[in-house]
Amino acid sequence: MKSTLKLLAVLGLAAVLLAAILTGCTCGATTPEETTPATTGVTTPSPVVVTDQKGREVTVAAATRIVSLAPSNTEIIYAMGIADRLVGRTDYCNYPPEASEVPSIGGFSTPDLETIVALEPDLVLATSIHEEIVGQLEALGIATVVLNPQTIDDILASIDLVGRAAGAEAEATALASEMSARIEAVAAKTAGMTGDDLVRTCFVVWHDPLMLAGGDTIYEELIRTAGGANIVSDQSGYPSIDLEDVIVTDPQVVIVGYGMGDGEDLALQYLRDEPRLAGIAARQNDRIYGIDQDIVGRFGPRIVDALEQFASFLHPELFGTPDQ
Amino acid sequence: MQPKHSGTYFTGRRTRIYGLVGLVLLLIVVAAIATGIGSVGVPLNTTFSILVDKLPWVEITPTWPDALTTIILDIRLPRVILAGLVGAALAVAGATYQGLFRNPLADPYLIGVAQGASLGAVVGFLLPVSWNLAGYGLIPLLAFAGALAATATVYLLARVGKTLPVTTLILAGVALGALLASIVSYLIISSGEAMHGIIFWLMGSFALSKWSEIWVVLPYVAVGTGFLILFARMLNVMQLDEEQAQQLGVNVERLKLALLAAATLITATSVAFVGTIGFVGIIIPHTVRLIWGADHRYLLPLACLTGAIFMILTDLVARTALAPTEIPIGVITAICGAPFFLYLLRRRKKAIF
Repeated sequence: MKSTLKLLAVLGLAAVLLAAILTGCTCGATTPEETTPATTGVTTPSPVVVTDQKGREVTVAAATRIVSLAPSNTEIIYAMGIADRLVGRTDYCNYPPEASEVPSIGGFSTPDLETIVALEPDLVLATSIHEEIVGQLEALGIATVVLNPQTIDDILASIDLVGRAAGAEAEATALASEMSARIEAVAAKTAGMTGDDLVRTCFVVWHDPLMLAGGDTIYEELIRTAGGANIVSDQSGYPSIDLEDVIVTDPQVVIVGYGMGDGEDLALQYLRDEPRLAGIAARQNDRIYGIDQDIVGRFGPRIVDALEQFASFLHPELFGTPDQ
Repeated sequence: MQPKHSGTYFTGRRTRIYGLVGLVLLLIVVAAIATGIGSVGVPLNTTFSILVDKLPWVEITPTWPDALTTIILDIRLPRVILAGLVGAALAVAGATYQGLFRNPLADPYLIGVAQGASLGAVVGFLLPVSWNLAGYGLIPLLAFAGALAATATVYLLARVGKTLPVTTLILAGVALGALLASIVSYLIISSGEAMHGIIFWLMGSFALSKWSEIWVVLPYVAVGTGFLILFARMLNVMQLDEEQAQQLGVNVERLKLALLAAATLITATSVAFVGTIGFVGIIIPHTVRLIWGADHRYLLPLACLTGAIFMILTDLVARTALAPTEIPIGVITAICGAPFFLYLLRRRKKAIF
């Protein structure tokens, strides 16, 4: 028994010595690539000071290696055409498909600080849920801009912000103008609508519990701009409501987000099959539509795609019949 | 002196000393290895050079990118050290609670620390306070305050005159814990955007550990643990019936309160910064008891070291197994700790609590 312990003690000392010896050899994984700006031929702009959407003043010296911490931010970068500068994205950044070739830095709520630092970015685009890691990145001297759009105008402003921070104002303006034009095309046709012209509708986030988007969400804005009236306009956030409330308010169109996670359309199927909802106008006229959550739930460039889809759901006579 | 065979392997004094020394060495080795491994591959000699360069009398010209220095010194090293501190704190607190309550199932979260800290943290997430709070932010502060408030409430509820009956304490802790947990559940449902962050906090994580956090955790844990180890002999006496302990001259009530306070303090500090990490407070003390016996004078320091080693290793697995995605550390502690503990139980033919 005593000798066993002596053996253990000796092994422990040996392990310490071994560790010291190992450090003398270069065995180990490869070092990160030598850093070069991800793109040549782009003149480094002089330092820019921007105020991000959380009110923080950020000095961006250069934006040649950009890391995005959210799918919406990644989509903005690709839509602006500066994706050659993107060196890091999250596991959930799946649009456009080319984004999967960029190295991943972790999840959406759990980005990996080590991987981000190893990529040596000079600009990181974060969102409002990344408070802690933004603090760490700031402390390490990495310029971090937080995008936090709550409305469609905020999204356009966030694109403008990315343009200024990355020294790509021209691309940002081009993207924002194109988006504004498409938004205007929808808004112009629904501008004068009142009362019964507005289609009673709601946006369903999940079916169990039945969660709808309330009056202070971006979905409310999408519905209004597309010529609709949200049946839970008076409630805030994402209220869970009873089936009886839905039956009583009798929506003419129901829009359901699908694709949460793995392309599941459980909520859509539920809304289309639940027998107790058979009496609502939306079911009678077969106007229960699904929309990809990746398009409508990410506050990025594809929000105009969502708006156009909403418009065709609510007013097919003006915007063409929807594809479903 | 032959080691005594009383149903465990190592209960002789010298064998426990060897155990202590061996564990200290093991801790150093494990910490060094954990600093050298991570989601980004860094060659071992670079790691060693970066660490040695920090010594004041050594000056090495860097041949590696600055990013690696940042990774090793500002990201990995604080994380490893914090993991060690928290592991030690939870293990020692767990051993103390088990000794105080004379109950093998007592863990550091028994009298409301976890639920109080969760409530404080959730409130911190939901408050519309601006982002710029220096150092470590609002959430650890509120979590710490919540943990202490919950424990104080349990103490006040359970106190009977000048005594603190142990059974009442446990019951009050469970009841208040349930109440707080239900409030937390309601707040989570109505949290909207913050829900993601809250749920990840509750699962516990050492990600984004900072040096500023260590300077807060270290003094609390050091003082609390030191205090508990100093009074370890008293814990031995407490294993007798409380009346007998009193007849032996121990001021039982005051001692109970002091030990409880110290153990709760180090638990609250740990939970405030890293969230609620389960299993460590139960598994480690029992494992140490099964190997080295239940004498608290050795149990507490050995649990301290074993807890630190265990936590560093599980954190290493949590951040490298599926890199760059992190596995919640509570999952790893359960997966690694439980089977090993069951194995130990099977090997020991005699119960040893």
